[in-house]
Amino acid sequence: MRRILIDSEKCLGCKNCSIACMQSHRGEDGVAGLNLSSQELESRNTVLMNSKKQYKPLFCRHCSKPGCAKSCMSGAMVKNPETGLVEYDYEKCAACFMCVMNCPFGVLKPDRASGTYVVKCDFCADKGSNPECVKNCPTGAIKVEEVTTV
Amino acid sequence: MKHVIIGVGAAGIVAANTISKHRPNDQIVMISADDAVYSRCMLHKYIGGGRSVEALSFVSPNFFEARNIVWRKGISVTGIDTAAKTVSFDGGTETYDKLLIATGAKSALPPIEGVKDCSGVYGLRDLADATAIRDKAAGAEKIVIVGAGLVGLDAAYGLIEMGKKPMVIDMAKSVLSANLDERAAEVYQTKFEEAGCVFRFESKVSKVRSDGAGNLSCMILGSGEEIPCDLLIIAVGINPESKLLPGKPDKYLKVGDDSVFAAGDATGLSSSWPSAMEQGEVAALNMCGIETVYEECLAQRNTVNFFGIASVSVGRFLATDGDTLDVRVDKGRYQKIVINDGVPAGVILQGDISRCGFWQYLIRNNVNIEKIPRSVWKVSFADAYGLNQDGEYEWVK
Repeated sequence: MRRILIDSEKCLGCKNCSIACMQSHRGEDGVAGLNLSSQELESRNTVLMNSKKQYKPLFCRHCSKPGCAKSCMSGAMVKNPETGLVEYDYEKCAACFMCVMNCPFGVLKPDRASGTYVVKCDFCADKGSNPECVKNCPTGAIKVEEVTTV
Repeated sequence: MKHVIIGVGAAGIVAANTISKHRPNDQIVMISADDAVYSRCMLHKYIGGGRSVEALSFVSPNFFEARNIVWRKGISVTGIDTAAKTVSFDGGTETYDKLLIATGAKSALPPIEGVKDCSGVYGLRDLADATAIRDKAAGAEKIVIVGAGLVGLDAAYGLIEMGKKPMVIDMAKSVLSANLDERAAEVYQTKFEEAGCVFRFESKVSKVRSDGAGNLSCMILGSGEEIPCDLLIIAVGINPESKLLPGKPDKYLKVGDDSVFAAGDATGLSSSWPSAMEQGEVAALNMCGIETVYEECLAQRNTVNFFGIASVSVGRFLATDGDTLDVRVDKGRYQKIVINDGVPAGVILQGDISRCGFWQYLIRNNVNIEKIPRSVWKVSFADAYGLNQDGEYEWVK
C-alpha cells in the first residue's frame, strides 16, 4: 500500500501540513479564504512535541491492524483490502467514539464543532495522487511511498 | 474445507470476513436465528426512530454475495454432533469441517416475582426486542427501565427521542456505575433528568403485577412501594448463549476437538464489541490453520456519548490506597487519571476525548510514565515515538 512515511528529525513544526489538511477539506479552492481559527474545520494531522522539545508528527498510519476499525460497531471505519486505506463513512458512523479510544497512538478525535463524527485522514482521496500535507511539507519530513504490508 | 459459523453478530461476521480473506476458495456457511445483520449497540437509535433496520447494519449490503457465503437465516441451531461433524436444527442438518459457535448472549432476567406470567416485559438485546419495545412504547406512558448501565440508558435515550419520560431503577447509587465515577455519572444523570427521565437509585424491583388479561400493570420495589407500569425493560446484563459449546474456550478459542471454536459473548470471556471482533478474528485464523493466540483484555474500557457529551473510561478509575490521583476540571471537561507506582491504572475523560487513545495503550500495557519529565496532562505518544520500516507507529520502550 501507499503510506505517508515520516522522518520526524526533518520536522520543523511549521504546521504547513495541518494548514494544507484544513484547506484540502474546506470544499473551496484557494488558501486565501481559509479561516485558521474556524471551529468547523479541523486538521486531521497534528504535530506533537515530546518532553525533549522535539517535534513528532502525528498522522493516521492507516495501520495494518487498525485499532479504530477493529472496534467500530457501525461499519463506518473499514480497512480497504485493495488500497490499504482505513476509510471512514460519515453516514454510517453512530458517533460512539470507540475508535477514538482504541487508536493506540491517539490520532483520532471527535469533531470539535458538533461532536458527531470523527476527524480522520482520507489520504485526500479526491485530490489526485498525493495527500495535500505531503505536497506542502517544505522539508520532506513526510513523503508517500509504497510499503510492503497492507 | 467447509466452515460453518453460527451467528451473524460482530464475532461471526468478522470470522467470515477473515476466513474469506485468508482462504478465498473455502466454503463458508452462516446460520443465524437473526434474519438481519445489525449492530446491537445501535438498537436504541432504531427505537428512537433515528435509524431504519438497514441503517443498523455494520456490513455492506453485498457482504454475503461478495464472499460467496451461504447465509441460512432465521434458523436456530439446536444441537451439534462433534463425532459426525454436523449441526442440527428444526428441519435439517449442515455438515462442517470447522465450526464456529458465535451465538452471542441473552438478556439476563433478575429474579422478579411474576415476570414470567405477564406481557409487557422486555430485554434490549435483539432487533425483535427493539421492535417490540418501540411498538409497545408508542401507546405506553408508564415505562420503567431496570438497570442504569449503558444498555438501560440507551433504552432511555431512545424512548426520550420518542417523546417518552421513562423511570430508571438501579441498585447502584448512580448511573453507569460500572463505567464512571459519581462525578462523571452525575453529568449524564442531570441531562437525562432535564429530558424528563426519573431515577430511583439503591432500589430494585421485587415483584410485578398484571391486570386480569395478563398485561403488566404495576411493579413493586424492594421497599414495598407500588409503581404503576405498562412497559418494563430489563437491562441488568447478559447471560452467554453457551449451551452449544462442548467445553470452555482455550487460548486458541477452541472449545472441543480441533474442529470446534467459539467467539463473542457465547464464550463467557470479556464481553464488548471490540472483544467480540477480536475473538472472531482469532478463532477464524485458527480455523484456517494459522495458529493465533487470543489475548484476553482484562481492563474495563468503554465510551459513553449522550446529549453530545462524550466520555472515555478505561481501567480502574476509582483510586485506592497507594494510588496517585490527577484530576483536572474546567468548562465542560472532567479528566481524571489514577496512577499506581508510576503506571496509569485508569482514566476517565469527559467532555474532551480528543486524541486520547494512547491512554488505553498505556493502561493495557502497564507502561511506566514516571520518568517522562513533564506533567501527566502533557504525556502523549510523542514521548515514546517510534516508526517501523513500513512507516507504522510503534511505542518505544
